[in-house]
Amino acid sequence: MKKYTFALCLAFAVTSFSTLADFKLPKYEKLTLKNGLTVYLMEQHEVPLVDIRMVSKAGAINDGKHYGLATLTGDALSYGSGDLTKKEIEDLFAFHGARFGSNVSLESTSSSLSIASKDMDKLLPVFSDIILKPRFDKKEFDKEKQRYVDRLIQNREQPRNVIGSAFNKLYYGSHPYGNPVEGNISSVKNISLKQVKNFYHSMYTANNSALIIVGDFKTAQLVKDVSVLFSDWKSKKVKTVNLDLMKPADHSKLWLINKEDAIETTFMIGGKGISSSHPDRVALQVINTILGARFTSWLNDELRVNSGLTYGARSRFESHAKTGTFVVSTFTKKKTTFEAIDLAIKTYHRLWDKGIDKKTLESAKSYVKGQFPPRYETSGQLARLLANMWSLNLDDSFINNFQKNVDSLDVAKANQIAKSTFPKENLQFVLIGKAKDIKEKAKSYGEIKEMDINTFEY
Amino acid sequence: MNKLLAICCCAIISLSASATTQPEDVKSFTLKNGMKILVLEDHSIPNANMYLFWKVGSRNEYPGITGLSHFFEHMMFNGSKKYGPKQFDRVMEAAGGANNAYTSENITAYTDWFPSNALETIFDLEADRIANLAIDKKMVESERGVVTSERTTGLENSNFRMLQEEVKGSAFRAHPYSWGVIGHQSDIDNWSMQDLKQYHKTYYAPNNAVVVIAGDVTVKEVKRLANKYFAPIKAQTKPRKVHTVEPKQIGERRVYVQKPSVSSANILMAFHVPATSHQDYYPLSMLASILGDGRSSRLYRSLVNDKRLATSVFTYMPNSFDPNLFYIYAQASNGVNVAILEKAMITEINLIMSEGVKSKELTKIKNIAQVDLFRTLSTINGKANTLGTYSLFFGSYSKMFDAVSDMSKVTQDDIKRVANEYLVRSNRTVGILDSSEDSKEGDR
Repeated sequence: MKKYTFALCLAFAVTSFSTLADFKLPKYEKLTLKNGLTVYLMEQHEVPLVDIRMVSKAGAINDGKHYGLATLTGDALSYGSGDLTKKEIEDLFAFHGARFGSNVSLESTSSSLSIASKDMDKLLPVFSDIILKPRFDKKEFDKEKQRYVDRLIQNREQPRNVIGSAFNKLYYGSHPYGNPVEGNISSVKNISLKQVKNFYHSMYTANNSALIIVGDFKTAQLVKDVSVLFSDWKSKKVKTVNLDLMKPADHSKLWLINKEDAIETTFMIGGKGISSSHPDRVALQVINTILGARFTSWLNDELRVNSGLTYGARSRFESHAKTGTFVVSTFTKKKTTFEAIDLAIKTYHRLWDKGIDKKTLESAKSYVKGQFPPRYETSGQLARLLANMWSLNLDDSFINNFQKNVDSLDVAKANQIAKSTFPKENLQFVLIGKAKDIKEKAKSYGEIKEMDINTFEY
Repeated sequence: MNKLLAICCCAIISLSASATTQPEDVKSFTLKNGMKILVLEDHSIPNANMYLFWKVGSRNEYPGITGLSHFFEHMMFNGSKKYGPKQFDRVMEAAGGANNAYTSENITAYTDWFPSNALETIFDLEADRIANLAIDKKMVESERGVVTSERTTGLENSNFRMLQEEVKGSAFRAHPYSWGVIGHQSDIDNWSMQDLKQYHKTYYAPNNAVVVIAGDVTVKEVKRLANKYFAPIKAQTKPRKVHTVEPKQIGERRVYVQKPSVSSANILMAFHVPATSHQDYYPLSMLASILGDGRSSRLYRSLVNDKRLATSVFTYMPNSFDPNLFYIYAQASNGVNVAILEKAMITEINLIMSEGVKSKELTKIKNIAQVDLFRTLSTINGKANTLGTYSLFFGSYSKMFDAVSDMSKVTQDDIKRVANEYLVRSNRTVGILDSSEDSKEGDR
């Protein structure tokens, strides 16, 4: 593989379809059922597929101290529902070539089902049962929980699996955005089926959820089917979590996580980012493309192309409803750990030292616009887009004005936004590697805290 | 990790009134220099792609230059006559395009994704590096570091990668599938400029490529640009044939790999199977799906769900020009003795050997293949990659549209037969990766 994958830089990034066409979000129907459930229906007929998605504002920020509770709940929905056992559901979906999955993040949980359109009548009611009538079978729950704990232990074998959550915890501390979505080994062990049921009944409600269906169907008929299938779901008041902003860090901290047989050092450096609805989010996506979100970005050019220190270096914003983080990340052999860290910081400081020139800015603008359409090409991708827009309270202008926002960015504005928004002082560090060999030098970057990859808790 | 690529690239049935791609939508032509080009118009988004598949992979290497195919994949981005070092990426990104590339045991593929108004720029960039690559000494040295980091981070973050390298080395003692695509570190450190120049001349010849362009383009415009940019590139003598045939394995082989940080054992079984062009391909790929695709598969049900001996399991059979391997991989649950897991895996295989599979299981695999094909056809990248793959490994892109009907010809007896023929002990290599040192008292 030539490249370490470059994800676009915002966790929720959208741009316009074309430099030529005035892109509009494809037409869709939005309705609210009597019980308060929001429904989006978007027809797409290129292939005979339908993507169904239910999103609820129930995520790891709602875990309290029971880290992993939202994740275990999201997974438990399909352990038997309505008339079907867990195995019967799995067999039925597989027999029809359907793909089911659930995804839990800090602020929401999504269950999704991709099916052939001819199977709609048979499988949509099953999906509805999964959301509305989970059985929460104790035997299945216990089995899956044990398996999940084993996987959490196995996750610790690979630095890449844990560094993101470790950074979040270091940065956010006890703020709910610091909650590890996957949970801690000890916290997950202690979660009971009763807690899962409580979480489900308090968070999975019609008024706290949206159903999105995109694909090869007829809207008029589907409106009727959906109204029948989901009408029994109740609404109730949902308890909100206090997401008041935390105080910014007043000094640099460094978590050094020991992996005894490490043959390289994996590291992440960062600080305060932006919320998903930040007014400059589009401009920041373009700027971050220049810094670390494409192959010719400054970070990749310096750390990979010019020096051969790493296979890939990048930067990204991780944004949530209220705030977010910004991180630079890469990996290098043990011997060049500090050479790579210093070069990453020096390169990052170009935002302030040299700034962005016109040619680079124009290139990044073209790149961001040119790479947009394939991100919203399939029914599944469009369903995810609508789910994100709903859960973050964004309207269509978010999509439809994207191109205008990209085009309106000039050099002066880009430099002004870069200098005022990217975090410069009191950066936070996580290093995963062989601690004994890198500890002394690591101390000079911030207040150090040592832990072990197998035993540390978020 | 590509899991069971075979099931992702399947076929088509009655397509009702939808706009799904039909075989006749694909247009194919060959330039005078032997370069084969496929074009599929799709105007659903204002983007297009170009996938260039070169028939060169680690099977074309030999000891001393292992990993060179993959290294070359990197060097193709490091400068040519018109577009010097760094220019390929800079020009492409400024035009709104992005790219990547991958190398396997059999092929090297380059993938360009771009707004359709950048089509000519992409032709110009690709033609320049195919015809006039300039191998810069300084770039070679920095790229050695990059590839070393890619190798290291793979070993650090993937147990499968570490174990597969050892299993392949044991399963193949003659054929070049023996070494990993990334190559041996000592070869990465030592190949010469001469090796690189020769490799480019031999394998990056237009008569050794299949190019697929899909998206918001017209066949007419693609033909014009192909004639302008690719047709002038000279054909080369056909590369040396890979004639080495792996001697038949006549007894089980075993390897053990120690990785102190693993929390539970990983096990990888590999069985020799024929090339993708062989008539047993579909029975074997369907057997792989029945065993390991998804939560309703036999191995998942038995090992992960019911007996709880493993946390994950999958099967994998790469597309391949020469006879290769059928892999079964499992990760043991915490505290489970790997010997018990191994025995349970063999029990499941034996069950198919003796009892065969159910008719419903065959139907399920065909249904999955069919819906997965629709998923593939829902993106221009899925179309380009899959058409190219079928063209290379199955002899024609049209085989993509025949896959489900080809699967329909496979019987329950066929599955039982291939299980008995290939998934036997004497044809098996077993690799185990675990944390403890491979020593015992009195036997260090």
